[in-house]
Amino acid sequence: MSAIEFRQVSFAYPDADLALRDVDFEVAPGEILLVVGSSGSGKSTLLRCANGLVPHSSGGRFAGDVVAFGRSTRSHHPRELADVVGFVGQDPEAQFVVDQVEHDVAFVLENLGVPEQAMRRRVEETLDALGIAHLRDRSPATLSGGERQRAAIAGALAAAPSALVLDEPTSQLDPQGADDVLAAVSRLNADLGTTVVIAEHRLERAAPLADRAVLVNGGRATPPASPRTMLTGYAGAPTVTRLGRLLGWDPAPLTVREARDAAIKHPLLGVAPDESAPGESAPAVRGDLLVRAVNLEVMLGAQRALTNATVDIGQGEVVALLGRNGAGKTTLLRALARLVEPSRGKVDGSGTVAYVPQDPGSLLFAPTVRREVAETLRLLGRRDDAAVEAWLERLGIAHLADRHPRSLAGGERQRIAIAAVAVGGAEVLMLDEPTRGMDAASRNALERAVKEHAAAGGAVVLATHDIELAAQCATRVIVLGDGEVIVEGPARAVLAGSLYAPQVLRVLPPFLTVTDVEIALARTQQP
Amino acid sequence: MTWLCWALAGTTAIQLAPNPLYVLVVIGVAWVVVSAHGLGGPFARAFPWLVAMATAFGILRVVLTALTTHGGSDVLFTTPSFTLPEVLGGFTVGGTIETQAVVYAASEGLVIVGIVAVFAAFNAVVSHYELVQTAPRAFHELGLVVVVALAFVPSIITSIHDVGEADRARTGGRIVRRGRLLRRMVPVLESGLERAITLSESLDSRGFAHRGPSARERGAGWCGALALLSLGGAFVALVASEGAVALTFGVVGAIGLCVAVVLVSGASTRVRYRRRRLTAADFACIAVAVAAPVLVGVVSLVGDATLRWPVDPLLWPTVHVLPVVALLALLAPCARQPATVATTAPKIRQATPATVDAA
Repeated sequence: MSAIEFRQVSFAYPDADLALRDVDFEVAPGEILLVVGSSGSGKSTLLRCANGLVPHSSGGRFAGDVVAFGRSTRSHHPRELADVVGFVGQDPEAQFVVDQVEHDVAFVLENLGVPEQAMRRRVEETLDALGIAHLRDRSPATLSGGERQRAAIAGALAAAPSALVLDEPTSQLDPQGADDVLAAVSRLNADLGTTVVIAEHRLERAAPLADRAVLVNGGRATPPASPRTMLTGYAGAPTVTRLGRLLGWDPAPLTVREARDAAIKHPLLGVAPDESAPGESAPAVRGDLLVRAVNLEVMLGAQRALTNATVDIGQGEVVALLGRNGAGKTTLLRALARLVEPSRGKVDGSGTVAYVPQDPGSLLFAPTVRREVAETLRLLGRRDDAAVEAWLERLGIAHLADRHPRSLAGGERQRIAIAAVAVGGAEVLMLDEPTRGMDAASRNALERAVKEHAAAGGAVVLATHDIELAAQCATRVIVLGDGEVIVEGPARAVLAGSLYAPQVLRVLPPFLTVTDVEIALARTQQP
Repeated sequence: MTWLCWALAGTTAIQLAPNPLYVLVVIGVAWVVVSAHGLGGPFARAFPWLVAMATAFGILRVVLTALTTHGGSDVLFTTPSFTLPEVLGGFTVGGTIETQAVVYAASEGLVIVGIVAVFAAFNAVVSHYELVQTAPRAFHELGLVVVVALAFVPSIITSIHDVGEADRARTGGRIVRRGRLLRRMVPVLESGLERAITLSESLDSRGFAHRGPSARERGAGWCGALALLSLGGAFVALVASEGAVALTFGVVGAIGLCVAVVLVSGASTRVRYRRRRLTAADFACIAVAVAAPVLVGVVSLVGDATLRWPVDPLLWPTVHVLPVVALLALLAPCARQPATVATTAPKIRQATPATVDAA
């Protein structure tokens, strides 16, 4: 028997076009199935079908059937499937019911009426399986991103479901947190035989774990295939896979290790990076100073969030702020944007600064994407329809211009928020985790927009966990730890040698990105 | 249960000894208890706000009482006055502001602040989920809904702050007041709605109310509805001065409600995880806390005049040692270790490999 069967599933949200079209495949028991696809392709909708949230919670028109371990979601509500399918959505913070990890884990068992002794044992085992036993007395609000995500998974796993459905579980995490979560998922699958269905954009970590992958595009799902087969032609494939594709490595690698082996077999002789390529390899030449922070110290309540931070941002720069969750990246951005008052030090400079928050939902209020972007200009007392359209085009959201911003996927909302802030014409753009939930095409559009803004005499500061993004477009990198600037310098110098260095650098040093390699190859092939 | 007994003991003690100095002692005790046992979450942080709100309410009460109470001899000052029409009560607002009225209203207001402080302390030290766990099973789902709804308050406050900041950041710090309410209200409301939907899906996915109502529960529902109807009838009868009918309806309604609660509780299959049972230390704590109002009551029976503050003639309030010692018994919970619920992350200084390598 299959674990989960999708039988000719089509679905449309109320008053909307079809989000899923004739989806028909099976998930085998004990496998890890990876669901990939661009933002808004229907991945989340597909996952929500697995335990009946679609259509029972969403409403809308539903055709076909989804059968999870012999139970049809047509006749069973999500609560009646809680013992066989555990579901963890994109935002773990909003899913906690109880303000204490241990009791939150036990919540599903209480609901299912599990006897008290069995419940105690299950809770202990679940806490151990996810490695969060030491967090049992903590409030979820005080946990780091990775801890919170693992606690959310524990809340779904306690009922010992046969399948676990995870919707972008690492989208909000730093590399370490993402590794912890995926390692825990892999362990659950290997040790307990739990079937896992996981949607991810960060494929470099998730793809190697998966047994099979499904590509969702425009609501249609391809038949499951091996991740290698599926990702070889996929635009959002892991960086090493794209590198392998460029260099003609067969089979295309999925992991850094495989890529390194391939690089040894097929050495890249006589090809060197272009040291003069601005923004990628060489240290940037800075223009006029736009913002300067000197010896900044910021207190958030009783906690010191930033200590002695001195940062200069000049024209033409793209500065990436790196560091784990809670390192002080957002606080530094907010301080540079003068949204938080430093307790010591000062921020000055002639540049106008605009800030895009991590959660685009705190910005969006207009009924359409176009009006949302135009609103900034209206607030500034200007009217410039051309600028609005230009930013919509630049960030690849022109086709969504008449849609309601809140009806769109996370990555799409993120780009709308960026367009809405950038259209105001501020010289310095502060972007907080701009690639959260973004697909490859959206990331490429963002990278281009960032570089264009810097090239036009502005500057961009990115707080990000996305090392590949930093490698692709940062001219300078600042690493923060515990509110202090740990290291600062040109992107290559800082990223080289780090355990979390960009994948290409780990395979073909000193190249930072696939684009680096592509440019170098093109140069060597010129007569 | 221990904290509930403590809160009831505290409020009873205030009622028995409304002298402002004794009330201040109880407020001080509540503050110490919150410092020692506050769980550190948003509810604990609400303690000073609740006390401040009660104080504001008390001040408003003093103003209204001073403006509308007249006839005393000791006039502080005189304000312009007007008399309301007969249909609105026909009393005079303003005129002479008298010392006795002000002092009496302030004293009464302080009692309210004291009671609010005790319950704000209870709110700060108790785990609301555990409180729901101790309630009869019939109330569990309702209680959980209330706890979840209460948890939305701090998140909405955070959301209001974030939206305000995003609004300023959008224009590079330039403040545009035109249309600001709409720009700020819509994201707060929509984010709150999205959060509520996510939470309801989480509840559903985790089996909340997974079993439909049983025949017994349906019966209990009907029983409860009829009981409420009967209590309504009792109220109507009471208004019509039909004492015997009101009593009959009231008794029937009360019994019906009890039967409904017992039926629903018996039908529930929900098992409570690690339900905390009272220990000897809890009983000792309850006993010492309850001793406070008991001792104050005994002192009152003996005839201690300091428990209340007579305002006419107006004298400075005085205190005796014994009631103060009795009220300090409310500090009993401080003799115990705070609960193990840690709501603040320990400060761990640990660098990730990325930062170490980069450095």
